[in-house]
Amino acid sequence: MPIALRHIEQATSDLMPRPGHGMPRAQITLTPYKSLTPTGFVWFIGITATLIVMPLLSVIGTSVFWGLLPFIIAAVWGVWASLKRSWRDMDLYEEVTIWDDLVRIERHDPKNRVRDWEANPYWVRLKLHEAGGPVPKYLTLSGAGREIELGAFLTPGERVELKSCLEAELHPA
Amino acid sequence: MADAAVTEHGHDRPGFFTRWFMSTNHKDIGILYLFTAGLVGLVSVIFTVYMRLELMEPGTQFMYDAYLGSPEAIEGIFNNLFSALQTAGGGVVHAEAELRALQDAILTAPLDENGVIEIGGGILGNGGLHGQVLDTFDAAMDSTANPAVFDALASAKGVLAGSPDGHMWNVMITGHGVLMMFFVVIPALFGGFGNYFMPLMIGAPDMAFPRLNNMSYWMYVAGTALAFCSVFVDGGAGPGWTFYPPISAIDAPTSRAVDFAIFAVHVSGASSILGSINIITTFLNMRAPGMTLHKVPLFAWSIFVTAWLLLLSLPVLAGAITMLLTDRNFGTSFFEVSGGGDPILFQHIFWFFGHPEVYIVILPAFGVISHVVSTFSKKPVFGYLPMVYAIVAIGGLGFVVWAHHMYTVGMTLTQQAYFMVATMVIAVPTGIKIFSWIATMWMGSIEFKTPMLFAIGFIFLFTAGGVTGIVLSQAGVDRAYHDTYFVVAHFHYVMSLGAVFGIFAGVYYWIGKMSGRQYPEWAGQVHFWLFFIGANVTFFPQHFLGRNGMPRRYPDYHEAFALWNYVSSIGALISFASFLFFIGIVFYTLRFGQRVHEPAYWGEHAETLEWILPNPPPEHTFETLPTREQWDRAPAHPTVEEWVEEAKEDC
Repeated sequence: MPIALRHIEQATSDLMPRPGHGMPRAQITLTPYKSLTPTGFVWFIGITATLIVMPLLSVIGTSVFWGLLPFIIAAVWGVWASLKRSWRDMDLYEEVTIWDDLVRIERHDPKNRVRDWEANPYWVRLKLHEAGGPVPKYLTLSGAGREIELGAFLTPGERVELKSCLEAELHPA
Repeated sequence: MADAAVTEHGHDRPGFFTRWFMSTNHKDIGILYLFTAGLVGLVSVIFTVYMRLELMEPGTQFMYDAYLGSPEAIEGIFNNLFSALQTAGGGVVHAEAELRALQDAILTAPLDENGVIEIGGGILGNGGLHGQVLDTFDAAMDSTANPAVFDALASAKGVLAGSPDGHMWNVMITGHGVLMMFFVVIPALFGGFGNYFMPLMIGAPDMAFPRLNNMSYWMYVAGTALAFCSVFVDGGAGPGWTFYPPISAIDAPTSRAVDFAIFAVHVSGASSILGSINIITTFLNMRAPGMTLHKVPLFAWSIFVTAWLLLLSLPVLAGAITMLLTDRNFGTSFFEVSGGGDPILFQHIFWFFGHPEVYIVILPAFGVISHVVSTFSKKPVFGYLPMVYAIVAIGGLGFVVWAHHMYTVGMTLTQQAYFMVATMVIAVPTGIKIFSWIATMWMGSIEFKTPMLFAIGFIFLFTAGGVTGIVLSQAGVDRAYHDTYFVVAHFHYVMSLGAVFGIFAGVYYWIGKMSGRQYPEWAGQVHFWLFFIGANVTFFPQHFLGRNGMPRRYPDYHEAFALWNYVSSIGALISFASFLFFIGIVFYTLRFGQRVHEPAYWGEHAETLEWILPNPPPEHTFETLPTREQWDRAPAHPTVEEWVEEAKEDC
């Protein structure tokens, strides 16, 4: 799911109390959409490998087998590596962790170090830009002297959802 | 954390060189593929026109080795002829005045540097002294009833007209086959339309690996250059596009040209494999949210299956021709009988690639036709899921029928029976597609615009070619038809009249989208009728020739085959004229065509994602993922409101 929200009741292995702030109240994880599932990957590579082995079986025991083998291996490796690479290219996620008096956002990018931002939720302002942003319905958060973007890789509709969701979590009634 | 970027950042369009030579944009690369394929197609078509001119009449008018003789030798031939004619005619020399005039014309011709006279023709080989020899002798032979006179004339003509140049013919068929299979149809349908429209239809911003895409294109160009070399270097390569050893393994007469052909196929194969890996990754991992495999448009599906077939079959071809290359140059004997190799094994490996290859050629055309038929019948395509699985089934079955190309090499009865049955089974998914297209048109409000004409022409002619395919699939019947013109007619009906009709349907369907300008409708219709008539007049008579037993791959034939060969050549000239007219239409449209502003200019039934974009689409499309209501209009699916509600529940 591109937007995953969980409310936290007790400490878990990945979420511990933070000195001075206590337990986080909620966490939202944002991931870009990937249409290929791990199961789909296995099916695709499995069917490909099965079909491509057929010509090899027919020449087993001849010298031609060794002539074909490198090309077959190269083809299967090529598509395997490309699919993995495509996943890795999309392997970024943003994590919003919310305490009563602190909000922390981390952006995990495969090629860059983790970038983060922290502010007091009371002063944080959310804004949805109808125009002017790099993407439609660009969502920004301002607080602690900085304005940052959130969920730029989501669909416009998902950003609208994300905004109302965040608003409810940051400023509970 | 990424800082916000809320400024309108201007974006310069790249210059001409950067845009077209260093392009990483899938739309620009698609256009490059289409134009290159069109240019190579023109060259390849010119080869066929040359071949059809040669076949227009019995005898060799164009492809011959000219007679070379000293003036004394030529004088001797004529003296012998005159004395033979005198004897045969009882003292009277038949057609003496004409023959004397011919002799004078030949003997007054200039000598070349070796002191001999060449009885040659003009640039194409016809006309000139050679033409005079043919005309004079044919007239003299027609006007005599004396068999002895006829024989004397025929033997002298046989000497003076030179000898047929069979190698030239082989070079032409090899060039035509290699270019059409590897460098025209696949690049146009798969590289061109596939690159341009597959990412648009699935809502992806570009291909998964844009720079790899650029590399695929330039490798294709390099491969084309090598293929041209194989025609023009060292007398040309003549093993046929199938490269069967030992014809291709013996290098004496063809020398390096065959190596060039092998490298051409290598490079284009590498290009296609990289392209197909790119397309597979894009298709699998970059579909818009909610677009499950059972909702992807049919054209995108057909491109994906094509890519998959390429990935599975091309490594096998690459292996086979690499082994051929080492047999030719490094003394290995994979396929060399004297060293313990097996040339029949090459045929098996080749056709393990070659049969999927013909589906690679036709499947994207299936995709194009589905969209065109649906758009112009103003109905959603009938039986979407069966259509998808028919594509997959055709692709899958394509891997288990290869030996039907080689019934005559010596296989057991059981093997032949298997390949026969498996081949006939392909008629089932193909039938599903044909009947679904007909059902899509059924009760539709059909508009006969040019793309629709080509689509209907495709369905009709592809079915005709498919039926002759079922005839040829019978191992027993194939004994009679193998290597006759019946086979030539069959595969041109499915490829020339199938795949090429698909390309033209796609060009007319999308040219307004790609260029922002629309073609003149009357011109498209004229092109269609010229091409439809021309192509049928070319290939339909070849069924008769094949049934009469005319063999393939010869530049000359018995006079009994003259009539239908003449008709077929007239058809080829009409088709060629229509192709030149088409080139004219394309350039007219790009320059002077009416601008089209309406994004979905074919009406609301053109409903894939490219039709929500302006004409032409901007440089960058779908940088943000399109939403479901933009591509999903099928009434059977949940409504947009239901879907939004569903999304809300997730948060």
